[in-house]
Amino acid sequence: MSGFRLNLRDGVGANLSDNAISFSFDGKNYRGLEGDTLASALLANGVSIIARSFKYHRPRGVFTAGSEEPNALITLHSGGRTEPNIRATEVELYEGLVARSQNRWPSVNFDLMAVNQLAGKAFSAGFYYKTFMGPALQGHKATRFWWLCEQLIRRAAGLGRGTTIPDPDHYARMNAFCDVLVVGSGAAGLSAARRAAASGARIIVCEESARAGGALVSTPDFIDGEPARDWSADQISELSAMDNVCVLTRTTVQSYFDDNTFFAVERVTDHLSHKDKTSPRQRAWNIRARSAVIATGALERPMVFAGNDRPGIMLADSARRYAIEFGTAPGRAVAVFTNNDTGWLAARDMAKAGVIVTAIVDVRADIEPSIRSIGEECRATIHSGSAIKSVKGMRGVSGIVIANYNELTGELGDDSKSIACDCVAVSGGWSPAFHLTSQQGGKPTWDAELQAFLPGEPLQKWHGAGAMAGEFGLTRAFRSGEEAALKALADIGVTIPKQAAKAGSGPDIDGDEIDYAPAPVFEINSGGKSFVDLQHDVTAEDVRLAHREGFVSVEHLKRYTTLGMATDQGKTSNVTGLAIMAAASNKPIADTGTTRFRPPYTPVAMGAIAGEKYGHLAAERLTPMHDIHVDLGANMYANGPWMRPETYNLPGETVEQAYIRETRAVRAGAGLVDVSTLGKIDVQGPDAAEFLNRVYSNGFAKLPVGKARYGLMLREDGFLFDDGTTWRLDEHRYLMTTTTAGAGRVMEHLEYYRDFVWPDLKVALASVSDEWAGVAVAGPKSRDLLKACVKKCEVTDKGLPFMGIVDGVIGDIPVKIARLSFSGELAFEVYCGAHWGSALWHALMSAGEKFNVVPYGLEALSTLRIEKGHVAGPELNGRTTPHDLGLSGMVSSKKNFVGSVLLQRETFGKEDRLQLVAVKSLDGQRIRGGSHLVAGSKVQPGGSQGHTTSTCFSPELGSYISLALLEGGYKRHGEKLFATNPVRNAHVAVEVISHHMVDPEGGRMRG
Amino acid sequence: MADLAEKLSPLHELAMPRSGSDKVILSERLCDSLVQVQAWPDSVGEVEKQIKQTRGKRNVMPTGPGRWLIDDQSEGLEEKLRKKIGAELGAVTGLTHARVVVSISGEKATWVLASGIALDFDVTAFPIGTTQMSHHHEIGLTIYRVGENSFDLYVFTSLVRSFWHWIEKASAEIGYSVI
Repeated sequence: MSGFRLNLRDGVGANLSDNAISFSFDGKNYRGLEGDTLASALLANGVSIIARSFKYHRPRGVFTAGSEEPNALITLHSGGRTEPNIRATEVELYEGLVARSQNRWPSVNFDLMAVNQLAGKAFSAGFYYKTFMGPALQGHKATRFWWLCEQLIRRAAGLGRGTTIPDPDHYARMNAFCDVLVVGSGAAGLSAARRAAASGARIIVCEESARAGGALVSTPDFIDGEPARDWSADQISELSAMDNVCVLTRTTVQSYFDDNTFFAVERVTDHLSHKDKTSPRQRAWNIRARSAVIATGALERPMVFAGNDRPGIMLADSARRYAIEFGTAPGRAVAVFTNNDTGWLAARDMAKAGVIVTAIVDVRADIEPSIRSIGEECRATIHSGSAIKSVKGMRGVSGIVIANYNELTGELGDDSKSIACDCVAVSGGWSPAFHLTSQQGGKPTWDAELQAFLPGEPLQKWHGAGAMAGEFGLTRAFRSGEEAALKALADIGVTIPKQAAKAGSGPDIDGDEIDYAPAPVFEINSGGKSFVDLQHDVTAEDVRLAHREGFVSVEHLKRYTTLGMATDQGKTSNVTGLAIMAAASNKPIADTGTTRFRPPYTPVAMGAIAGEKYGHLAAERLTPMHDIHVDLGANMYANGPWMRPETYNLPGETVEQAYIRETRAVRAGAGLVDVSTLGKIDVQGPDAAEFLNRVYSNGFAKLPVGKARYGLMLREDGFLFDDGTTWRLDEHRYLMTTTTAGAGRVMEHLEYYRDFVWPDLKVALASVSDEWAGVAVAGPKSRDLLKACVKKCEVTDKGLPFMGIVDGVIGDIPVKIARLSFSGELAFEVYCGAHWGSALWHALMSAGEKFNVVPYGLEALSTLRIEKGHVAGPELNGRTTPHDLGLSGMVSSKKNFVGSVLLQRETFGKEDRLQLVAVKSLDGQRIRGGSHLVAGSKVQPGGSQGHTTSTCFSPELGSYISLALLEGGYKRHGEKLFATNPVRNAHVAVEVISHHMVDPEGGRMRG
Repeated sequence: MADLAEKLSPLHELAMPRSGSDKVILSERLCDSLVQVQAWPDSVGEVEKQIKQTRGKRNVMPTGPGRWLIDDQSEGLEEKLRKKIGAELGAVTGLTHARVVVSISGEKATWVLASGIALDFDVTAFPIGTTQMSHHHEIGLTIYRVGENSFDLYVFTSLVRSFWHWIEKASAEIGYSVI
């Protein structure tokens, strides 16, 4: 043995290869072997203190060899990859791995925060509730002082710290479907997978560890004449080679949801030193299984005794696994403390691997002779009917003190005996790992024989197998796996004939057949500090205190003491805590009940949950002219899901300077703006006209073919919902346009009315938003521009009157041209197939050169419509009616339409409603969006009388202006108010004016 | 129709051919004709008959009750169908420009697709020659199974770049080529 590394040979260090690996822990370099976990490598290097505890900062070492680890939590990596609270027992060692301890200062070996232990009694259950609750009474400073203390104490307690730096890794997802999901690849899982796979059903097998096989990896048993480890490897290879089987290792099934949906996380590259950039760090699997076999085994639990949290004390089977799988002695002299036979097997296997087992202490007085002989095999002293009274050592174990123990009364004798050891391997029995089925809702039942909770009745299609279902031992595991597979196959309609089922039943097993039932001993109460929940520093006395203070429900116990919370979710502490609670209540454990496990089974990186949905892979909608805008140097910004040009800045121009220039150019000549983002809906059918007449507030029944009309759409409650123009393309075919933001909800609105309210109408609806590219050509020269490039149609005032539509051609591009104006200028909207969009833009720009055409962005588009007084999203805010926005003329009194009844509510006719006006800055200051309109000074502004909605600098008026909603605004033109915005420290003198600021008669757009 | 301008795909530069693994092969194409036909409840049979009688080399994809998406390898299908299917039978909507077809093939095609789309791509659940409607996050998809390991995905034109970025990223782990 070199250090704590055993002599590696057949069956010792089975997971390891000869390849040495360098890694660091807390800045110090160590060597491990390929196949090690961080925990096994640290143990092999003699590092026993790996962490400090949550509350008391007590030194803690490795307690388990798996994902249930409560103690050995470390932080991996640095920068954006920093990941706290990782279980060292699960981290596969790789070259260059960097890990550090956490929750300590200045170091894990010398932690000044351990001073908390001195106040140990004060930090008992309910400490925060008792200490910091209470009113802060006038003149009574004590509570406020304690609140300050709370901040400091909370800072001193805790686990690792995360990072706010973005995670540079990427994560992937997988959606999988299968007939049978097998969770776990131990004896039961393998058995179930073999049986189910043979039927041809689609099988997925998930194994949490790097190597499939579960307990078969380290058991000394033989199967079909082969070592169990080799046999399981062969079986996994055979399964993996089958087309209908998918075997996933390093994959933890975390959650079990409705409809037999499972969430699993595969650690794809976490274990690799050199990570391929194209591979994800982790892959989140959503698995929809028609049926499932849950073969997740069982978790060993400890017994509680004074000083049971010292580094060097670990679970017996974990100590055994470190010896067998990782060739690492858990200590130089190991004492085993058990209440069941499996502790003895652990002692035997460790001794065979070369570990010195000095003593076996069993609380039971009567030990089967066959088991007792194991002690002799180990050359360990045997102490039956005995228990640990105390543990010697401060920062580790230097020995134990044992005494006679009466398992019936729980009393310790007065005799004491010291045993020298540096490791205590504890076995307090086994708790079936039914976390997944507990999440799904089955209520666990108490098995008095096994002294364990078993999964309850299935509420979905799953079948338990092996230790998870209380079927301990290889023979029973294989048999229950077979049975579970047959039931799962029956769930999906596959029935295996009895004869065939029998012929395929389990392999020959040559191994231990023992009684797994432990003595019902959970705690040795000798008066010292005895920890139940190692991760949250919850002691047995905390549990009893909670009971004394009236917390008799297990749910209340959990929350009051925090037993079973935090990253391990009490995997090693729940049952013991309940047993102590039951004893305090003088009730059977069965009557005390248990809490329900919550997903996930182990902590999951947020990146794995978020997947690829965020960041640069989040979906963006691009118009067909997107690249042109980018090439022109436009400021592109997200407008909902769309990327749109804000302004096309010339060198040195600000956004404001750019939009003012663009606006002036449009009003003086011609401009182009990309309007492809408008929602577009194809409305067809013999009843299309009637349908539109019902959904718009104004009349559509008589809209002639070849004409467009602006329409208002209301919600059922009479408020405005959306607006846009609808074009009548032929007798039964319309093209409806909506606002960019409203396209989706308008489509849903229309489909709802078509499908549920008026199913008798023959109307077809189809989104054609992506079918059409659209360019608005606006300005007094816009007609000239079109004349220069449009063929096969007239664009004169006669050939294309206001609100008219024509089909034509520009270059080789078929186009539809509608004479519409959002800007208030003479303007046209030109539509073509989206794949011709960029060609159309180039053709229009080319034709417009001699008219000094400019491209303009959303800011100029908005400025033009504000100056004109056209409403848009900020005014259609869900709280305005047509009457509020000066659109009463768009409300038909001759027909019913959606919203017509409730629009007649008395309240909508009140004169003091917020009504659309415009305000103009009187002092040259900028009016900020969202400003309130008030009458008073900046110091005493008075109440809000309204607010600004859409603001800009108006080149036409030479002033900052804004559309606004003002109480009784229609009758207040000419009033002087202030637009106040305390958040931006703005208080601007304004005059209320008509919202029709430019060309109120409409001469320009009709010209 | 021959004098129409050449269409420009939103993916024109992104989907340039490049060699790589043949486990995943990506390509894109624009449709010559892509038409949605919606029949009224009382005319489904007649509309289906009219679609069958309109000749062409095409994928006819059922996308809802009495509704089909038809991808035809010649231009002018919208006009042809509109002549046969008047307003009394149903509605014909041109979507030729509204979608870009992203094709994926190769032995790992289903792996890549399943990594982003919550559908069962096993051939027993999604047979060759059938259509499924689904989503990749916000992006709606119509998926046609061309062969055991090849699929045509009809992607909204405005979202196809985002989808292409995703499918390349998802394929990178395996290795892929673009043709």
